[in-house]
Amino acid sequence: MISDRIKANLTSEFRQSVLAKLGVVLLLSILLMGLFAPVLATHNPHEQGHTNDAGASYPPYGLSDEVPMFEDGDITYHSVDGTSEHLLGTNDIGQDIYSRFLYGARTSLLVGLSGTLLATAMGVPVGLVAGYFGGRVDDGLMRVADVMLAFPSLVLALALMGAFGRGTIGIPDPIVLAGFADGMPETATFPGMVVVVVALVTWVWFARVARGEAMAIRNEEYVKAARSLGASHATIMRRHVLPNSLTPIIVLATIQVAAIILLESSLSYLGFSGTTLSWGYEIQRGYDYLPNQWWIATIPGIGIVLAVIGVNLIGDWLRDALDPNIEGEGGGGAG
Amino acid sequence: MSADDPLVRVDGLQKYFWENDSLLDRLFGDDPVPVRAVDGVSFDIREGETLGLVGESGCGKSTTGETLLGLQDPTDGRVEFEGENVYDLSGDDLTDFRRSAQVVFQDPFSSLDPRMTIGDIVTQPLSIHDWPWTDGDVETTVDVRTDGISRDIVTATAADDIDTVVDPVDGVATAHVTVRAIDDESAADVDADGRSVDLASGVVAEVEEDLAVAVDRDDGIVVRVSVDRSTAQLRRDRVTDLVERVGLSADQLDRYPHEFSGGQRQRIGIARALALEPEFVVLDEPTSALDVSVQAQVLNLLDDLQAEFDLTYLLISHDLSVIRHVCDRVAVMYLGEIVEVGPVDDLFEDPKHPYTNALLESVPRASTDERDRDRETLSGDVPSPRDPPSGCRFRTRCPKVIPPEDLEIEQETYRDLMSLRERVERRDVSLESVGDDGQFDLEDGVSDEKRPAFVAALKDRLLERDLPARHDEIVETALAELATEDWDAAAARLREHYESVCERKQPHLGNGHHPVACHLYGEASERTETPRSDP
Repeated sequence: MISDRIKANLTSEFRQSVLAKLGVVLLLSILLMGLFAPVLATHNPHEQGHTNDAGASYPPYGLSDEVPMFEDGDITYHSVDGTSEHLLGTNDIGQDIYSRFLYGARTSLLVGLSGTLLATAMGVPVGLVAGYFGGRVDDGLMRVADVMLAFPSLVLALALMGAFGRGTIGIPDPIVLAGFADGMPETATFPGMVVVVVALVTWVWFARVARGEAMAIRNEEYVKAARSLGASHATIMRRHVLPNSLTPIIVLATIQVAAIILLESSLSYLGFSGTTLSWGYEIQRGYDYLPNQWWIATIPGIGIVLAVIGVNLIGDWLRDALDPNIEGEGGGGAG
Repeated sequence: MSADDPLVRVDGLQKYFWENDSLLDRLFGDDPVPVRAVDGVSFDIREGETLGLVGESGCGKSTTGETLLGLQDPTDGRVEFEGENVYDLSGDDLTDFRRSAQVVFQDPFSSLDPRMTIGDIVTQPLSIHDWPWTDGDVETTVDVRTDGISRDIVTATAADDIDTVVDPVDGVATAHVTVRAIDDESAADVDADGRSVDLASGVVAEVEEDLAVAVDRDDGIVVRVSVDRSTAQLRRDRVTDLVERVGLSADQLDRYPHEFSGGQRQRIGIARALALEPEFVVLDEPTSALDVSVQAQVLNLLDDLQAEFDLTYLLISHDLSVIRHVCDRVAVMYLGEIVEVGPVDDLFEDPKHPYTNALLESVPRASTDERDRDRETLSGDVPSPRDPPSGCRFRTRCPKVIPPEDLEIEQETYRDLMSLRERVERRDVSLESVGDDGQFDLEDGVSDEKRPAFVAALKDRLLERDLPARHDEIVETALAELATEDWDAAAARLREHYESVCERKQPHLGNGHHPVACHLYGEASERTETPRSDP
């Protein structure tokens, strides 16, 4: 499937495009952060009570904060300085924001990538079959898809989460078990039900796009040629229909990774997540403190923005490189 | 199959399309009106010939080609290939048919998958049909004359000569072996130059290293012919040969279709169609998307290939010069039906059907000799294939519609009267706008005194020419009936006087050498022929 030529296109497109490099750097750093969160983290992300003696949270290192305190019936303001021990400060219950940020990256990417994979695996075959065969098959499958589309995705996701519960899978963290990061949580929480739910609300998009592509491709003469050669429907779908519909599917997938990261954040924000180690959950925590302690919500927010931008830039790069009609180096042309 | 039987026999082939056949339509019970793309087409294609199928755009010729290959399901009719009904085939028989009948498409930009390399595209038929069809280890008994072989089993490499040079392994003495098939039906057959081995099912291993011959003398003499190369290598070689045969170079195999010009892409499409060594190829407008300069090259290539591989062609085209250049026989199609079939020279020199004639007339000519020639260009549009005209489908545009027998009338006048009649039948005349505003009161019928004025005004609008007195009278009577909005009476009157045999009866394409479906020839169409045997 991945020919030398596609590899060549990918590299040449990558060399030329600053944005592609930026996207890879962004996504790669978030990926590494998530992967090596236990090593990079300075504190156990669940550990509370990282406050100053008066019980006030720390602002990020280099900033200071005027914290209102009740003392003898009066409100007095205490100045709290950031400390290098908590680089990005601590949240309302005194948890280290930097460490939680790293673990949040892990959750976001895990849900974004596996949710998209699952949605693609569900939606693309359905769409290809519906579009290629048309007729009653198409009618049947697409009515189901229409019903799914009729619900706003967040509402549907909330309903499904409510119905299924928030099943999570605890995966032993190999880095911690191997002894590289003492004091960190020994199991990483994989919000399995969230992944299933986001896939259930997004597969329809993949089905729709794949169907549209398949409908156009089935009328191409190369499909007729393959049929006149005696190729089976399965072969035609695998050799012609799928590869030729891949570009919009890949573009859609990258958009959906970003959308699913946002959806996961929304679910966590609303309290429907399997884990508290999530950027969306953090934003919800910091929401009440935005006027004074803005960093509690803003820092995970920046994380979401960077992840979404990174994923989209990579999507652009893949789209440009995978379409054989767009020449990587401006060469080619008709012979 | 006797020699006289055609390779392909199409019998009453029909292909209707039902558009808008959606769930909603079905729910509301609307009866869909089919588009009769192909409506009862019959013709034969003889082995080795090129049959041209010619007609205007939208007359159903491409649909005929696709339906006859089974790419579309037929509505009715049958297609026999080598005596078997194609639509009854299944399993291995269908696979065989797919192998024997191929197609080259019109649009070289759509017929090649943009994501496959040229090599992959031409290899595809080979991998679908699992070529080579032998397992490379065909065993057979042949007459082997050996000379000084010192081992029981030797491996032979085929040489230029029919005397195969045997180089026994491990440096044992060189022996000369003649490998010859005992009978022609046997699986291994070393041909005259000894370099190619045709393994019964058609594998041609042309490169001498491909062939290994093992001689086993234990019980009788058994020669084992095997192909030494891997399937992938064999396919690669075959694809290289094919691509070079159609005029491209083998180092282009790894390129993608968009890197080629239209002509080159069409050559690739031809190579793909020929990969399985078919007997019959449908050429669906193979040159109409190409530059004029390239068209001739592709046509000549097709011609060469036909001679080289004994191919039978069905050439679908709207380009008469292409048809004339390439075809042996021509079938002319109009609105889903075949109106005339004949040998190319007869048809071009002596077209019978008015439609064929009009098609030939429409070809632009460079010479000024015929500047004054009376050109009969076709008027009007092709009628909708949803609702084709009754009788002869060409009658609405035919310059030679047959008037009723007792009627002496000029063709042009008759044409005018026919279209007038058609408008009356369709009630496609706006009576309200006749004359000045409010001049005629249609609600209660035009009053008697105003009637002549009404008729005159209406006639003036509907007919450009003056009519001979006799017809003038009939028309005026009919138009007067319109004054009371009696459409049916007017239509009936006109029909009574002017109905043609062309609309009452459908002409049938006869049999024979040069049949034509036209009432001008009627029952006698074959009698105008000087009897002679088919070539």
